[in-house]
Amino acid sequence: MSGGPGLESLVDQQISVITNDGRNIVGVLKGFDQATNIILDESHERVYSTKEGVQQLVLGLYIIRGDNISIVGEVDEELDSNLDMSKLRAHPLKPIIH
Amino acid sequence: MWPNYDEQYGGERNRARSPRRQRERKREIERGCGCKLFAFSAFEKMLPLSLLKTAQGHPMLVELKNGETYNGHLVNCDTWMNIHLREVICTSKDGDRFWRMPECYIRGNTIKYLRVPDEVIDKVQEETNKSRSDRKPPGVGRGRGRGGREDGASGRPAKGIGRGQDDGGGRGMGGRGRGGPSSKSGGNRGGGRGRG
Amino acid sequence: MLFFSYFKDLVGREVTVELKNDLAIRGTLHSVDQYLNIKLENTRVVDQDKYPHMLSVRNCFIRGSVVRYVQLPPEGVDVELLHDATRREARGG
Repeated sequence: MSGGPGLESLVDQQISVITNDGRNIVGVLKGFDQATNIILDESHERVYSTKEGVQQLVLGLYIIRGDNISIVGEVDEELDSNLDMSKLRAHPLKPIIH
Repeated sequence: MWPNYDEQYGGERNRARSPRRQRERKREIERGCGCKLFAFSAFEKMLPLSLLKTAQGHPMLVELKNGETYNGHLVNCDTWMNIHLREVICTSKDGDRFWRMPECYIRGNTIKYLRVPDEVIDKVQEETNKSRSDRKPPGVGRGRGRGGREDGASGRPAKGIGRGQDDGGGRGMGGRGRGGPSSKSGGNRGGGRGRG
Repeated sequence: MLFFSYFKDLVGREVTVELKNDLAIRGTLHSVDQYLNIKLENTRVVDQDKYPHMLSVRNCFIRGSVVRYVQLPPEGVDVELLHDATRREARGG
């Protein structure tokens, strides 16, 4: 269905994915399909906690299955570089419960 | 018990390679002309299942929705993302128990994500370019049209898993060597990064 | 198709999408597809202090399968029209 909210416009951009288990993975969108399966390159996970700042874990090249994806956000690189991850405190997101 | 994942999956060496530079070049051009580029390269027509197909023979880590992880070499996959792995180490959700198995078959819909060696993404483009120049139909990812089967045209034997002659650092993956015997649980780093 | 058509008419309006993980995101409805996947622009998370996870995101794609509610602008609901459309759909046409 053309004109729908496809992910074309985000290809080759930095995106932030929230998965159904509550993880936040940031990387470059390299591809996707009808089922919202996506290819993330140069990805890392941002781990939130209430005790310390955001930890970033290097993950590399990932294929994330569509039915495990909640949100795909376009990362505004300016906003992102102005964030002080070491000061952010938060609970990890809750998992999706269908 | 796991080797350093970062290094194993390509590490800095691969990160410095083409995909990033492609993106930066695209950005430059976009800035120059003040508009967005959509179809810049073959990278942008990449389908997740084509990438997976290209990863045949490579080591990979698969996490299931139940939190278990499977480390092994990809033998084959299909359009439902069902996958067949060889030389597998399964890690429990908490990352504290391990099982070795010579092979396993995973139903696609139980998968959460797959971690693939970095260099595989460069191979997809090579193969896409190749199949284009062969004037094969554009239906990527369907086995035919990517000549990797008998002729080994893609430079990768279909058999001989775990020994794909990839030049990347992704060698000596899980199964062989390192892994402790199944009865004994090795150190518990890596594997299922179980989050409570 | 009714909800798909309905949401298409709502494009350009401000909505709040509540997810099945309790996250609520407010933004302008940019587009929707047959799976009721939604694209929002100018987004902000409703409780940003509790959920700083999307601070650097202004545009996002939300998978239809994780949406719990979509809060609509009151003027975006034409009851008469919805009744008609519902009857038409029930008749199968």
